Amino acid sequence: MDDCRVLYSTWSVCPVCMKRIPAQRVQKNEEVFLLKTCKEHGAFESIIWREFSDINKWVGNADKPASENPKCPEGCGLCADHFQKTCCVLLNVTNRCNLTCRYCFADQGGNTDDPAFDEVRESIYKIVEKDKTLLQLSGGEPTVREDLTEIIKIAKEAGAKYVQLNSNGIRLGENKQYAKELAEAGLSFVFLQFDGTEDSINENLRGKPLLKIKQQAIENCAEFNVGVSLAVTLVRDINTDNIGRTIQFAIGQSPKVRGVHFQPVTYIGRTPVIPTDSDRITLDELVFEICKQTNGIIKAEDILPSACDHPLCGFHGDFIVDKDMLIPLLKRGEAEKKCCCDSAAEKNREFVARRWQRIPTTGDSCCGDIHDMEYFLNKVKSHGFTVTAMAFQDAGNIDFSRLRNCSFHVYDKGNFVPFCAYYLSGWKQ
Amino acid sequence: MQEKKKLICCKCRKELELIKTDFTYLGHSFFTEVPKCPECGLVYISEELVKGRISDVEMQMEDK
Repeated sequence: MDDCRVLYSTWSVCPVCMKRIPAQRVQKNEEVFLLKTCKEHGAFESIIWREFSDINKWVGNADKPASENPKCPEGCGLCADHFQKTCCVLLNVTNRCNLTCRYCFADQGGNTDDPAFDEVRESIYKIVEKDKTLLQLSGGEPTVREDLTEIIKIAKEAGAKYVQLNSNGIRLGENKQYAKELAEAGLSFVFLQFDGTEDSINENLRGKPLLKIKQQAIENCAEFNVGVSLAVTLVRDINTDNIGRTIQFAIGQSPKVRGVHFQPVTYIGRTPVIPTDSDRITLDELVFEICKQTNGIIKAEDILPSACDHPLCGFHGDFIVDKDMLIPLLKRGEAEKKCCCDSAAEKNREFVARRWQRIPTTGDSCCGDIHDMEYFLNKVKSHGFTVTAMAFQDAGNIDFSRLRNCSFHVYDKGNFVPFCAYYLSGWKQ
Repeated sequence: MQEKKKLICCKCRKELELIKTDFTYLGHSFFTEVPKCPECGLVYISEELVKGRISDVEMQMEDK
């Protein structure tokens, strides 16, 4: 008989009718599931943790008591019950795309009209807090807009501290002059869709070989000092055995590449299947695979649960690449002692930005002793490297306690909406 | 040109010398040269160093 234990009572939605229903995180033997029952559509369960580490230690005291807003998440814009401030804001500047991927959270790629430039400008001015905001320009594929350079300029004029571009890299790779224009307009860094080091992965997930063009995009961005982080959508049996090679590739590309950001595939927008538990890649499993596939270069203790968002929503490791070695800066247990959660969103924003952008440094940082304070400071700025992950939620595993801690918000028509609430979509049975 | 002031150890009355000194923060160790008493090892950490490189190291090392 299974050994079952309720770890936490929360709320979720029925993945069919999308009505709000109670849910529980339940430990069965070593694995943890989100269980919920809709009166009309029956019982659902989604695996959220496997047996690779202790979920209770990972989550800590992140689940805070809260009053329940009966409109959550349907009428979502940040409400009094939302715990976290905004770390990064995503602005969708187009619904068009030059790829048709198997999985697309935004389910985009059609030929709908882009929001008008004036509308985008108005949104940017409403979003931006001077010298604070990290604005992510997203889509669709933002580079299909001919006025993206102007949009970046507007964001900087409005006072955005950082402007990030989420891109598949095709145009950046094809056109060096274009990369230069975006850099000169004020682009801070690029999140480059990069699913692995083999073109078979691109063919499977993106419909065509793209490795060469993505490598060229990295080169073109580097030439104009724009940092690139590799954003990997992880799909079981397609690129889950390529995790280590992707990290090794990225280390070899430092300082052009600033890190790798893993996103276990989530079943929102366009997805080919309704997931079974075996399709899902849990965060503890991902940490295990990172350590295993990098042959211990990265250790589990080097990776910390998110302190800004809910720990079940992501993790981060902070490193320096020095003489082809990866030197960890954070240790689980040590670093958390210094965390100040009062301004977690702001701290998180500064943390990612100082690693993901390329900062001109003084002095020679090619050789020296990493314990030399001067050398360390140069090296951490020039060759900082992050390994991060974000586990987005879908209709199967959405957990409102996680949602309440979200600091990654989509801006739309005057509202800031947590990413997973904004893109939440029901499953057709 | 203004001559740099000498720093004297308040205990030993010896002039401090620039000596490589180790610092530890969040489990990591660093070294840099700071004025140090050759007799008792007392170090002088200037405001400039604290607000400059040490503060920078702390910021770089701290978790988000």
